Amino acid sequence: MRDMIKLGLVLLIICAISAFILGVTNDYTQGIIQARAHEENVAAIKVLLPEAEEFELVEDANVTGVTDIVEVYQGTKNGEVVGYTVKSNPQGYGGRVDILIGISIDGIITGAKVGDNTETPGLGTKIADAAFINQFLDKATTNEFQVTKDPQRENDIETVTGATVSSEAVARGINRSTQLFEEVLKNR
Amino acid sequence: MKFGRIFSRGVIFDNPVFVQLLGMCPTLAVTNSAENALGMGLATTSVLIGSNLVISLVKKLIPSKIRIPSYIVIIATFVTIIGMLMKAFLPDLDRALGIFIPLIVVNCLILARAESFASKQSGLPSIIDGIGMGVGFTVALVILGSVRELFGAGTIFGVTILGSFYEPARVMTLAPGAFLALGLLLALFNKITSKELNEL
Amino acid sequence: MSVSSIFLILVSSILVNNFILSRFLGICPFFGVSKQVETAFGMGMAVTFVMALASMMTYIIQNQILKRFDLEYLQTIAFILVIAALVQFVEMVIEKTSPTLYQSLGVFLPLITTNCAVLGLTILNIQLDYNIIETMIHAIGAAIGFSLAIVLFAAIRERLELYDVPEVFKGFPIALITASLMSLAFLGFSGLV
Repeated sequence: MRDMIKLGLVLLIICAISAFILGVTNDYTQGIIQARAHEENVAAIKVLLPEAEEFELVEDANVTGVTDIVEVYQGTKNGEVVGYTVKSNPQGYGGRVDILIGISIDGIITGAKVGDNTETPGLGTKIADAAFINQFLDKATTNEFQVTKDPQRENDIETVTGATVSSEAVARGINRSTQLFEEVLKNR
Repeated sequence: MKFGRIFSRGVIFDNPVFVQLLGMCPTLAVTNSAENALGMGLATTSVLIGSNLVISLVKKLIPSKIRIPSYIVIIATFVTIIGMLMKAFLPDLDRALGIFIPLIVVNCLILARAESFASKQSGLPSIIDGIGMGVGFTVALVILGSVRELFGAGTIFGVTILGSFYEPARVMTLAPGAFLALGLLLALFNKITSKELNEL
Repeated sequence: MSVSSIFLILVSSILVNNFILSRFLGICPFFGVSKQVETAFGMGMAVTFVMALASMMTYIIQNQILKRFDLEYLQTIAFILVIAALVQFVEMVIEKTSPTLYQSLGVFLPLITTNCAVLGLTILNIQLDYNIIETMIHAIGAAIGFSLAIVLFAAIRERLELYDVPEVFKGFPIALITASLMSLAFLGFSGLV
């Protein structure tokens, strides 16, 4: 019995030392890793909101807790807010689809991009093609987007043939983003 | 034992990949290009040197009953540190190697050296052994990575070797190519060593 | 959670992303214990058992402890310790309760701790952001895929013993080339998902 306790103690001490060393290393590297991730994100979203010069992560509970919303950046120019970029990840056909959009402060979509996704190659993946995703450009955020085979109204989006679920996922992600803009971001 | 012998044993005579066939998972998985192979080799070497040194220093403090879990914790600590440093300073390589960085923990090579060498020797020979085995592992990986990259993409370390006349066989950078290339290299290694043995 | 997504994870982990032939996880036992179909099957069963238990345990640890206290950087250490402890525990339980099972699986259990397929699976579960049900399905699929590959391979190697192989290819080289052909065959499944 005493032997067991001794063995356990030795193992515990080894684990404690190791955890301490890792904690210190983590403290040191975490800042660098986060700064780099931030840099990469900014490079990606800069294209979506060209007007902005600086970006800052929005860490508001009203924003970060919303369904399907991953992260929101606030874009500024000369200290003034010129718009936001919103990343959402709605459930598609084969898994979650990453969607990034830029919205100018007066409520116009300035850029839209489909990121990582696991949709069916050759069908669902066409949502990333300019022919589909660019339909969202320059549209107002006040109305909901509707995917349909026969677009008539201003905010109707033409479905990718054979990939209704994927197309609807994109529209859902963007609708959630624009809704967030209308209800929360615009009034900040 | 002389340091030179410890070192050369790791690189050639007891080469971890070609002779001992240890650490096969990363050997096959990350050798789709010479650069990834080199990165993996160096990461593994750093862990090996660190774990060999620490284990040889604390071997007397660890009761033999719990030595394996203790070694695993020590190895895992080094792996995590290397992983964090790579994420911070070499993010592209980190992304290319992905899950195989944490999996260095279960690379049988490292535990095998801890058990059969570092737990019996003092600090300096253990470091030399770690360097030797690490270099042997790295060299094997880079050879395999270069062969696969050459036939799979016509390049080595991104430099074009085979010009436009060569139609790259993409399959060499995929899973079947990994098994095939290592199989042929091992046969070649057997051929060379058996010839040398006959001549001796 | 729809039936189709469960099916998708199963097919993908058994065939398309087969742990051995496409992800390169668990190569050591794949070559080490595949000389006979019977031992290969035993190894497959032992791995299945540990994979299912380890996936559940690590899921709970990741979400209840590591995430909650911001200790995600301890993931590798925590997971490998869980697997090592689990293997030890399973070994003791089987030894006490079923000597016959212990005789057939016992020798493989210590090998599983350093089987990268198990640690790889638990890390992948977290990386792929699976919930508990998906995690378990993924574990079962991975285990079936592992067993399938290793048993098929053992069957081929048993036959291979009878044939005349060039001297320099004897042993590992020919085994690797066989594995290459199998992997090529499994590559054909990639259009499925």
